[in-house]
Amino acid sequence: MAVYSVKRIVLESFPVLTAGIIIALAAGYMLNSSIKKIAELPMILMMIPPINGLGGNIGSILGARLTSALHLGTLEPRLRGQLVLRKNMAASALVSFIIFSLTGAIFFAIAYASGIPIARSLSLALAFFIAGIALTAAVIFVTIASAFVSFRGGLDPDNVVIPIVTSIGDVLGVTCLLVAITIVGV
Amino acid sequence: MAREVNVRSIVAPVLSILFLCALIELGAGKVFEEMQEYFTTLLPGLIVMVPPLLGLRGNINGALASRLGTALNAGLIEPRLTLSAEIKVNLASSLILSIIASATIGVFAFGVNLLTSTPTIGVLELMVKLIAIAVFAGFLSGLILALLTVFVAVTSYARGWDPDNITSPTMATVGDFVTIACIYLAVLLVV
Repeated sequence: MAVYSVKRIVLESFPVLTAGIIIALAAGYMLNSSIKKIAELPMILMMIPPINGLGGNIGSILGARLTSALHLGTLEPRLRGQLVLRKNMAASALVSFIIFSLTGAIFFAIAYASGIPIARSLSLALAFFIAGIALTAAVIFVTIASAFVSFRGGLDPDNVVIPIVTSIGDVLGVTCLLVAITIVGV
Repeated sequence: MAREVNVRSIVAPVLSILFLCALIELGAGKVFEEMQEYFTTLLPGLIVMVPPLLGLRGNINGALASRLGTALNAGLIEPRLTLSAEIKVNLASSLILSIIASATIGVFAFGVNLLTSTPTIGVLELMVKLIAIAVFAGFLSGLILALLTVFVAVTSYARGWDPDNITSPTMATVGDFVTIACIYLAVLLVV
């Protein structure tokens, strides 16, 4: 007997995928609204996959670690007195600080090499770094909240946390980047 | 306690995998930047569907990887690279979902464009082009990545790697690159 059925997989997945599509369309709409800025500074486009990818990965890895700890019983779904939670948060924050500094430095080098003046190249890299740190804070919050809420509600957080974190992370990544570019005034 | 949580022991392996991801994502970003003219002048509105197509890829393959991981752990699938009935059903489902969901993205992106801006080309032409690009890019990237996911899931399981820490982040990142490349190819063919 076959364990999997095409019909069942397709029917069960389609609603979740559609929800993800609608959330991601918001990110697409924001990019389209900023198209004048993008035409003037196409490097913004180059920053979108790295910020979304890194934000999603930081959230997914944290999510996978937290859900395993919840299943193992080394972590309880509450905020107070959870050493495992605090150490995982600290590790995510440290990783994010290092990786967004490094990627920001690479963007500075690419921008400067492509003829953008040094001051503007620096502010581009700074905007990327600030956006990355803001995104990390948001992603850590969403990851912990979805892991705890799904675990308390009796759902398997393995099935819930990663789709939620990556979908919301994509929208927040684009948002953080566009806001940071405006704030820094690139 | 069975597993001592130590900040340094988390940071080192995660950083190395994230750095690799950052480099691949920079490549994806470079391809995205190359398409700038299409977004701004050649086919305004196209950019609306890039985040949904990228997200869809990750969601379909993430679910495929997670089903394969469960099936491998439960012994439903042998850790060998053969097209067994169970693997075929999983592949077929992912491809059917890719086509249906990509077409949905094309329709939604057309709707967003119609509601929020004045199209620079005919309404029918815009709709046909957006849906054609979405379905072509969605199907091609779906096919490449579904096969790659099976390969990575089976070989990494056979080697005893933890899919949570290695396979999923790597596939998500490679997925972004392949999807953007497929969108670019679709745009070159259609526009």
